[in-house]
Amino acid sequence: MNDLIGSAVFCVLSLVIIGTALGVVMSRNLVHSALLMTACFIGVGIMYISLEADFLGAVEFMTYSGGVAVLIVMGVMLTHKGNGVPSNPFNGRELFAAALAVIFTAVMGLVLTFVQMPPDTGFVSADTVGDLADMMLNTYILPFEIAAVLLLAALLGAVILAKGDGEA
Amino acid sequence: MTIGLTHYLLLAAVLFAIGMFGVLSKRNIIAILMGIELMLNAVNINLIAFNRFLPVHDLSGQLMALFAIAVGVAEVAVGIALAFRIFYDRETINVDELNRMKG
Repeated sequence: MNDLIGSAVFCVLSLVIIGTALGVVMSRNLVHSALLMTACFIGVGIMYISLEADFLGAVEFMTYSGGVAVLIVMGVMLTHKGNGVPSNPFNGRELFAAALAVIFTAVMGLVLTFVQMPPDTGFVSADTVGDLADMMLNTYILPFEIAAVLLLAALLGAVILAKGDGEA
Repeated sequence: MTIGLTHYLLLAAVLFAIGMFGVLSKRNIIAILMGIELMLNAVNINLIAFNRFLPVHDLSGQLMALFAIAVGVAEVAVGIALAFRIFYDRETINVDELNRMKG
């Protein structure tokens, strides 16, 4: 019974994720692409929660379906000319791109049929926030600090790039 | 039939392929950024599925995904700023027209 529910949840979530992702790349309207991308990220976040990674699900909702979606929509609005031309056209190489994507998926599927998967013995944490905090502030303190510096540099770089050197 | 690691890896591969199609076939810089975001999410699904199904003893997969999310968000911020700059300088964000370095 539990297996059945898990399979149903996985099937519905994968349908949502793949469908919205296809909508993102196929839509002729950039605003529709941005909205479908938000829906796709919400599906991915729910999938994280179904994989026992509830903190990462919350992070996905906040950063991707919150922050990144707002940034992208702002980018769409500020760079849109609104002169009636389709805002999200293909560049004429979509046949090659589709062939490459299909070949990639086929190779990955072929590899997955050959690989012998180990029995399901993963680590399930009862307190993901506490465990992640312990790891992040003890063992992985150096990558944590480097990520902080990276975020600061990205913030400053984005401001300088968007405003220009002289005006900032 | 139970859902195992293979199913998640296959889903992530399909999502990565869709993102790659978007990156390779779009004209608009912001649409290309959206494709990159889809690819980053596919990789994160892989990391979290490995943490859930492979024999590990801690949450290192989830922590790796957390760092990947941080780096991905920083990349989007810089990418959007670049798109603004290009739009103000050239009045276009069509990557096919950005060929000033073409020999």
